[in-house]
Amino acid sequence: MESIKKISCLTLAITALYSSMTIAADVTDKDLLNDQKTPENVLTNGLGLEAQRYSNIDKLTAKNVKQLRPVWAFSLGGEKQRGQESQPMINDGVMYVTGSYSRVFAIDAKTGDEIWQYDARLPDGIMPCCDVVNRGVALYGDLVIFGTLDAKLVALDAKTGKVRWKKKVADYKAGYSITAAPIVVKGKVITGLSGGEFGIVGRVIAYDAKTGAKAWERPTVEGHMGYAWQDGKKVETGISGGAPGRTWPAELWKHGGAAPWLGGTYDPDTDLLYFGTGNPAPWNSYMRPGDNLFSSSRLGIDPDDGKIVWHFQTTPHDGWDYDGVNELISFNYQENGKTVKAAATADRNGFFYVLNRTNGEFIRGFPFVDKISWAKGLDKQGRPQFDPSNRPGDPSNAKQGKTVVAAPSFLGGKNWMPMAYSQKTGLFYVPSNEWQMDIWNEPTAYKKGAAYLGAGFTIKAINEDYIGVLRAIDPKTGKVVWDYKNYAPLWGGVLTTAGGLVFAGNPEGYLMAFDDKTGEVLYKFNTGSGIVGSPVTWTMDGEQYVSVLSGWGGAVPLWGGDVAKRVKHFNQGGMVWTFKLPKS
Amino acid sequence: MILVSLSQFAQARSYDDIIAANEITIAVYRDFPPYSFEQNGQAKGIDIHLANAIAHGLGVKLTLLWATPGETTADDLRMYLWKGNNLHTNDGTRVKADLMLRIPYDKNYAQMRDDQGLLVHEQVHMFAPYQQERWQIAYNPNKLEQIATMAVFQYHKIGVEIDSAPQFYLTTAFNGRLRNNTKTYLDIRDAFAAMTQTNAVDAVMGIKSQIEWLHQQHPQQTHISQQTYPLFDTYKWDIGMAVGNDYRQLATPSKTYCSINLNSNIYTNGQRNLVSVISSLSYTNKSLLK
Repeated sequence: MESIKKISCLTLAITALYSSMTIAADVTDKDLLNDQKTPENVLTNGLGLEAQRYSNIDKLTAKNVKQLRPVWAFSLGGEKQRGQESQPMINDGVMYVTGSYSRVFAIDAKTGDEIWQYDARLPDGIMPCCDVVNRGVALYGDLVIFGTLDAKLVALDAKTGKVRWKKKVADYKAGYSITAAPIVVKGKVITGLSGGEFGIVGRVIAYDAKTGAKAWERPTVEGHMGYAWQDGKKVETGISGGAPGRTWPAELWKHGGAAPWLGGTYDPDTDLLYFGTGNPAPWNSYMRPGDNLFSSSRLGIDPDDGKIVWHFQTTPHDGWDYDGVNELISFNYQENGKTVKAAATADRNGFFYVLNRTNGEFIRGFPFVDKISWAKGLDKQGRPQFDPSNRPGDPSNAKQGKTVVAAPSFLGGKNWMPMAYSQKTGLFYVPSNEWQMDIWNEPTAYKKGAAYLGAGFTIKAINEDYIGVLRAIDPKTGKVVWDYKNYAPLWGGVLTTAGGLVFAGNPEGYLMAFDDKTGEVLYKFNTGSGIVGSPVTWTMDGEQYVSVLSGWGGAVPLWGGDVAKRVKHFNQGGMVWTFKLPKS
Repeated sequence: MILVSLSQFAQARSYDDIIAANEITIAVYRDFPPYSFEQNGQAKGIDIHLANAIAHGLGVKLTLLWATPGETTADDLRMYLWKGNNLHTNDGTRVKADLMLRIPYDKNYAQMRDDQGLLVHEQVHMFAPYQQERWQIAYNPNKLEQIATMAVFQYHKIGVEIDSAPQFYLTTAFNGRLRNNTKTYLDIRDAFAAMTQTNAVDAVMGIKSQIEWLHQQHPQQTHISQQTYPLFDTYKWDIGMAVGNDYRQLATPSKTYCSINLNSNIYTNGQRNLVSVISSLSYTNKSLLK
């Protein structure tokens, strides 16, 4: 069966090549830097390396978006349907998407016909820490590069889907995994890692994108040595944070977690990569008094050698599982006649931060969700003012202890789903969730045949009628210009366009278009399963297209309780939907 | 020779399915001596022995499903017993076992309810306790005369496995005074090697059977402490088995009992309960475990 399919795929690939272009459209560094300015393709995760998710295409507007129609749909097929969190990429008339379980598809962007499919073969003993999602590919040269659940980077031939190189980034047996889209900057493909509580150490790792040769690696936990590979030799490039033990007690830094699992963005202006890091390990904060750098932080990293140029920690000494991985988006604004080189991020911890992206200094921060209980606010440096009564109790010190109610829940005021920044309105469009969690000590817990000290937790909605809120936020003032409330939690990315539109999907299955100034819902289409992917737009033959993946899943349905009731009737799926206006 | 109710471990598929297929799939933890591990390509350990005895008693072939432990036992029950794992199968088939060994036998755990009042482990049935475990310390007698109280670890280094209850305890108890002397290893065997080979630690704390098994390999170099640790919430616990709950009706007391002949000369005392059999297996029959 497989060989038959391969032959037909090859035929299709050849057909597609002839029909679209006669010259090979290899992706160059320049193409990646200009991605936001080239409407005919989507070459980067975030529609530009800065990941603003802003398109300058203005053919679709508030006036005509009601006429938007699906032109094709593509099934990701198979027996394995889980959350489809991928963002499509489009180059040279071909769309590249990933599916759950480490699969990649190349699709004719005009017709929706499959060109090839690649299924990563996952090993027997794999027990990934996290969900089995994948968030997309990176394009470079004639390669399609993506990360797998068993922590490999795989570079496929863009035309055939055949493996050109494959590298083990980390050992899946030690608990490592990759779910984020890699980023390509200056010829290097750069990835982070996912990992659970198995004693991992977060790292950002760069490879030569064409050959897969390792270029550098930078641990994201204080005390670990970084390395670069120069002329085939591995050389030390300094200890992250200078020395071990500055913000960690004893030897806890050796297995400090801080996995940069959501990948990064890049700003050519400062020539810095921006990666966010996950929560520190172990999860019990009483074991590790101190700030625990560089957990729950944003890092400015030199793309040439992996040096950490600056860091900003959103949740020092995390005790709530507030990962600091959410994307940091570069943008400029005018203040007192001066251009401010800023970057913004909406953290899991419920605060929205505006930073100076040249040095990581805090400019301002404000809550972007209604309820934050773990901190009373931020000080002048952006450091949280903790509320000690809202830190979960020490599990080894107490019998079944009191329950702490903390907001946001550990799934965050905003989770992985990327927000968008409009150059037209100057607003951020933030997919957020209003929920809190109960946390208590759970002495009756077991792990690998032994008694264990666990924490029990459950997520609860704060409001009866909604959890998800899409908010238009002014980064200069913190003012919420408009919001859209959604019954189920929002878990998909946002796109905004020069045509004055904001696109986002919801778990109920709708792709929606909003007016960027008022939040009015101008268009909605039910895709048949929940949307947890990120929409894109591009032009082909002079027409504007919009694409999004549909396929309910991700972390939300993995948790029980109150929230599960809202989402348990949503059906799984796996489709790419593509829309455009009818030809007049 | 021991008596075990056969119907009790034949429920993920029905008992009839297992007999008809002439095969039972039993999940055991991967690389987890002295319970279940591979040595020179051969499956070894207490749980392997037990799995063989069960299959033999049923008169069916044994298939082992090696389980990679997740963050908690609940993950393992989901992945290997009731939902199954389809990450590595091309057609999406979920691979799961009929029976899983080394699952806690704890009424509070089995009956745990979530915030909605629903049973957390309603998908599985936990039964047949066969071993009691507790925390234990082995120490280097050249460095320590005895472990009178945990206070000695203000002055001596102790090794623990990562993300284990002893790690939690030693890094937080007494306002963290033992934290600096607590060294964390990815596996208890690495902690033991740090005591016997490099002297990086003077003691190791872990699960009793693991500590005793490691001690047996270095009987002169290490001593076992009989000290107890009242500060631990769960200081002793029972280990049993679990099956999926789909065939729960078969778990009712069965009239059919089958004798399982463990076929080893250490079982000369006639009928015993499984707990004592397995305990004696773990501590006395070194040849079996090496």
